[in-house]
Amino acid sequence: MQVSLRWKIVGGFGLLLLLIGLLGWVTLILFGSVRGVQRQVFDDAVPGLMTVDEIVRAYTAQSAAVRGFLIGNQPRLLDQYHREVEVAADRQRTAERLFRSPRERDLLTSLERAGASFHRLVDRRVVPLAQRGRRNRAFEVLSREGSDRIVTIENLARRLRQAQVVAVRRAEDDLRSASSEAVVTLIAVLVAALVVGALLVFFLPRRLVRNLSRLVDAARAVGRGHLEQRLDIHSGDEVEELARRFTEMQEGLERLQRLAVQERELEIAASIQANLVRRIDPSLPGASVYPVQRQANRVGGDWYDVDVSGRRLTVVVGDASGKGIGAALMATVALSVLRAERSLGAPPERIVQRTNQALAIAGDAGSFATLIYATLDLDDGSVRWLNMGHPAPFLLRGPHDRPEGYFVHGPRNRALGWFEEPGFAETSVRLRPGDSLVLFTDGFIEARSADDEAFGEDRLAEAILQLAPLGPDVLGEELIALVESFAAGKLDDDLTLLVVRFEGVRSEAPPTVSPSHDLSAGL
Amino acid sequence: MAQEKVEIQITDAGAYRVLKPTGDLDVYTVGSLRDAIGRMIEEDTPHVVVDLDGVPFMDSSGLGALMGGVRRLREAGGDLAIACTREQHLKLFSITGFGEGVSISPTVEEAAAGFKA
Repeated sequence: MQVSLRWKIVGGFGLLLLLIGLLGWVTLILFGSVRGVQRQVFDDAVPGLMTVDEIVRAYTAQSAAVRGFLIGNQPRLLDQYHREVEVAADRQRTAERLFRSPRERDLLTSLERAGASFHRLVDRRVVPLAQRGRRNRAFEVLSREGSDRIVTIENLARRLRQAQVVAVRRAEDDLRSASSEAVVTLIAVLVAALVVGALLVFFLPRRLVRNLSRLVDAARAVGRGHLEQRLDIHSGDEVEELARRFTEMQEGLERLQRLAVQERELEIAASIQANLVRRIDPSLPGASVYPVQRQANRVGGDWYDVDVSGRRLTVVVGDASGKGIGAALMATVALSVLRAERSLGAPPERIVQRTNQALAIAGDAGSFATLIYATLDLDDGSVRWLNMGHPAPFLLRGPHDRPEGYFVHGPRNRALGWFEEPGFAETSVRLRPGDSLVLFTDGFIEARSADDEAFGEDRLAEAILQLAPLGPDVLGEELIALVESFAAGKLDDDLTLLVVRFEGVRSEAPPTVSPSHDLSAGL
Repeated sequence: MAQEKVEIQITDAGAYRVLKPTGDLDVYTVGSLRDAIGRMIEEDTPHVVVDLDGVPFMDSSGLGALMGGVRRLREAGGDLAIACTREQHLKLFSITGFGEGVSISPTVEEAAAGFKA
């Protein structure tokens, strides 16, 4: 069940407040019981007992006064008798107010009747007999009949007193049982309050602190680079929510870590590829090679290679299908095999065939590479090449300020990696001093504008002729800038271009190969 | 920028199936074409004509996937033929030598007539 931390605290303290309220209520009830018993004892029972004593005393005094009157014939004693009668009447009215139980009322009524009977005896017989001078007879009647009535009154009074004592004892019992019940309730409420209080004070913070400690530990582990530690908190409150978010953060960091590793691997791959591609050191006069490359990603499928052996310059430009690491691996395979075979002195056809076989084994179904393997004879300017499914090179010639040129299509062979026999038909042209052969990859002609229009061969030919007067050393860079601008920043293919300029047979100029003009970010 | 998805419509023409991709066939989308060809092999209908009329752009990855399809379908006892009238694709086939040994025709019916097996 999902209960937020706020409601746990509010609920816990609410329950505690409820228990405190209950405690107060039980205490009030206990006080009420004590007050009830107190009222019963001090307001009813004690005054009742005193009133009964006073009634008895009043009747005893009445009897004594009448006897005194009979013995000494003193009229003031008769007046005292009448005063005591008033006192008894007054006390009896008090008693009627105090005694309310039926039994007490019965006893009181009997007592009042006995009193009235005593008064009738005194007023109607004893006093008239004495006034007529028959004191002895009056004394006799009083002693015989009056004493009986007084005794009756005393007996009834005793029974009334006993009734009061019973009532007081009952009140005491009630008080005792009420107070025991109250004490039990008090203890129960106190224990409950203690338990709730302990839960609040001990368990809630402990659980909270324990879960938070686990979060802190996990955060520390993340700080040390350990992302695998997972939190399993089911407190149903904000801490659980926090733990869930923390786990999501760990997963995000793991993804980032994996990406960082991939990035590092990509860097290594890029560095390997860069080292392979840049190894250019031709050292014969008669020609210059100006390579430029712009890669769409850290690694790519385009590559080129330049080599000089004797009076022969070899220039290879290639493009592996696909993009990224897969294409880069294909390119690396092709370049490695080419160089290995060439170092063994194999002829171009054999070198290309070996590359074809290596790519067929290395690539997955359908992947391929295209290339042009060109050889320039530095003595006579003749250049021959094998075009393996690659865009045709462009021959640039004519005066420096009014260049001419065309694509040399020639016979084409199949791309490498697909067929056992790709074909090895050769194309050859003879370069005149000052002529250049421009080799490039398909990124130039396939680049698309925002309107999905391809840059195309015609536009490329026109651009080469327009930019050629700037010189072979900047031609490649200018062409790349033009294609990038055409693609409006959305170029996602590699661009590689080499300008191979034949300087001439009698040229005394030292051999020149300009450094690679690499416009890509990482290479 | 290449779009991320290519829709491939599959039609049953009786003796063969026609796959008609709509959208660019490049490194980001060729997976769909490879998967579709894989399904043809699984469903034992290895004669397939790929109609490229709905593909405005195809790069080397797309071409690689088509050649991969040719190989896999031929291994499964079938073949892949191509129906295409778009000049830039035809040029790409011609440059790379893809067209040699694969039936490429302007219409689906003509392409199907050139199945090898």
